[in-house]
Amino acid sequence: MKYFRIIAIIIIFILVFIFLNKLLAPKYMEDLVEGSMTSAYYDEEKNHEVIFIGDCEVYANFSPLEMYQNEGIVSYVRGNSQQLIWQSYYLLKETLKYEIPKVVVFNVNSMRYDEPVSEAYNRLMIDNMKWSKEKVDLIEASMTDEENILYYIFPILRYHSRFAELKQEDFDYLFKTKKNTYNGFLINKNVKPAENLPTKRRLANYSFSDICYDYLNKIRDLCKENGITLVLIKAPSLYPYWYDEYEEQIVKYSAENAIPYYNFTKYVQEIGIDYSLDTYDGGLHLNLSGAEKMSKYFGKILKETFNLTDYRNDDNVSKLYEEKLKEYNKAKEA
Amino acid sequence: MLNVIILIISVLVYISFGLSNLIYILFSALSSFFAAKHFNGKNKKLILILTITVNLGILLFFKIYSYIDITKNIFQNIVVPIGISYYTFQIISYMVDVYKGKHEPEKSLFNYLLYVMYLPYIFIGPITRYEDVSKSMFSKRKLEKDNLTYGALRILWGMFKKYVIAGRIAIVIGTITKNTEAYFGAYALLAMLLYSIELYSDFSGGIDIVIGVSRILGIRLKENFNVPFMSETLQEFWRRWHIALSSWFRDYVYIPLGGNRCSKLRQKINVIITFVLSGFWHGTTYILWGLFHGIIVAFNNVIKTKWKTLNRIITFVIVSMLWSFFIWTNDYILPLKMMASVFTNFNYGELFSNLLNLGLNIPNIIVLIISVIALAVFDLKKETIIPKIKKYSPEIKTVIFCMMILVIFVFGVYGIGFNASEFIYSKF
Repeated sequence: MKYFRIIAIIIIFILVFIFLNKLLAPKYMEDLVEGSMTSAYYDEEKNHEVIFIGDCEVYANFSPLEMYQNEGIVSYVRGNSQQLIWQSYYLLKETLKYEIPKVVVFNVNSMRYDEPVSEAYNRLMIDNMKWSKEKVDLIEASMTDEENILYYIFPILRYHSRFAELKQEDFDYLFKTKKNTYNGFLINKNVKPAENLPTKRRLANYSFSDICYDYLNKIRDLCKENGITLVLIKAPSLYPYWYDEYEEQIVKYSAENAIPYYNFTKYVQEIGIDYSLDTYDGGLHLNLSGAEKMSKYFGKILKETFNLTDYRNDDNVSKLYEEKLKEYNKAKEA
Repeated sequence: MLNVIILIISVLVYISFGLSNLIYILFSALSSFFAAKHFNGKNKKLILILTITVNLGILLFFKIYSYIDITKNIFQNIVVPIGISYYTFQIISYMVDVYKGKHEPEKSLFNYLLYVMYLPYIFIGPITRYEDVSKSMFSKRKLEKDNLTYGALRILWGMFKKYVIAGRIAIVIGTITKNTEAYFGAYALLAMLLYSIELYSDFSGGIDIVIGVSRILGIRLKENFNVPFMSETLQEFWRRWHIALSSWFRDYVYIPLGGNRCSKLRQKINVIITFVLSGFWHGTTYILWGLFHGIIVAFNNVIKTKWKTLNRIITFVIVSMLWSFFIWTNDYILPLKMMASVFTNFNYGELFSNLLNLGLNIPNIIVLIISVIALAVFDLKKETIIPKIKKYSPEIKTVIFCMMILVIFVFGVYGIGFNASEFIYSKF
């Protein structure tokens, strides 16, 4: 009986410990909603024909529901802020456990980074990811020097100091979540015209590093193994961070590997992007209106080039997407 | 068998810090062991002086080396051996005690190596006398349930002091010391008073962990603190604070200098010399700290009143103010300036209006206040609390154990952005 009671106390302690881990971890539902991008995918149906993979340039610029509305494409964006190429690889690997899409669109912007950028971005992406081998590998590949995998296993070790700054959000979303994205697209309706662009910096070395090529090859191979068509893109952005030297390397890579590549920074006029109206941060990312134009433009290319299904004619899918569109349009008008 | 495992682990840890660490400690251990064995002959005084001189010389070299930049240029790539301050003092006390006939020399080299190299106390002490530890350390023993419970609770209590109290205060002191242009006067006083609590929580917390680990292993170490802030005089404070070091200086410096068995003036000079040397042991910038303590202890009765509480407050404030040399380190003048600013800059109103900008918000301040009260209550009532806890049922003990773990996990200051892993006294 004595041992039974001790075991019961230890079980209660473990439950309290788990509860505190959950309570103290950020919820990313009202503030910093970018932290809910990874986990939003788990609640979705998994029958997408196109999966977008990449950083903020993907989740801000491509709206799957616009593509459905215009072309009947069923797609999902698995993108996060500052998502590095190895993170994209492991996220794609995780996605393929749930579904095998026909096309994977990868935004090459992250080829610029060959080392973890910051712990904050890591946390935004990884915190709410489901535990799997891919998550462990992703953490190991992404950690900055100050991080430790234990901080991910037990969030309390990282977030314990939040006891002093808990908000209503932490209690409201303790056991539930809220939909912040629309098939991985994050709506931003703000307008901040592009006026003062940063100057182009000269770099000592413009070559992409080996580690980035390694992961790009891994993405290529993963797609090949699963019979997926890989498409490389560079999302439009007015900031002068995508150098000609970068472009040359990607063009060469795509040619050598017979992978289609679209650099949309070159088609801004054709797409109809007006950087005095279509950006929320002065030209770095597109806002809702810009994303609508971009999605319409690329949706057409995708449909025509890769022979995608028009799911508007599929009763089951269209029923589901009509509901999604209702919510999406409501959010657009809100 | 347990001792074999302890010694093997200790050796492996020394090696992990660099093979030179093992060589230095082995030299100290072996030289003192064999020297003490030969105290029977004619030349025992010579052997004693020679062995102490060599070992003290090595310590002195590394002390000066770590304090003065010029020597670093001459002797590049030399790493100060781990725990040299502690084990050198231990072997000196051992040799002097054998020399004086306080106890027999240890016969077993294995036992002696265990005494010198015992890992738990090598980083922050306490400096342990052979006679205090030999009985429990060298006896045949096995892990016992009572020792396990006491040791584990003691470790958690130490972690609570270190991570919940000391870590939190370190944030405020870090803010104040980072900007000496803006934070002086009332801020300096706040830093001094808080540092007393921080250092006590950090150091005694570390010792709690050492004592706890040792108790689990069946080894009983002496307490290093005895409610020091209840001291009515500075003299009393040094009987209650860092008892191992204070008593070491008393027995192996003050008494050999003549102690109380000489003229009043000579006695006072002995006190001052002892404290200056104690200051030097901490570092060259702490010599002034030692001097001030020496002078105040020597003329102790001058500032003693007939009210106990007032005496305690005065002692606490003096001790706190003199910690300035530990707060604003690596500088001889700045600590003096900060002490002077307490009396010349009356920016107390500004301090109160700016209190929440020093790194702790209201919930953190509340946690700190409650924790310090818990610390004070436990320290004052531990004679009654510990026996009570011992009598509790295993279930209640498990609840206490679990609660302490949760409190440390949630309210501890650790992790990214905080450097709370190192104990303040490990650098000495």
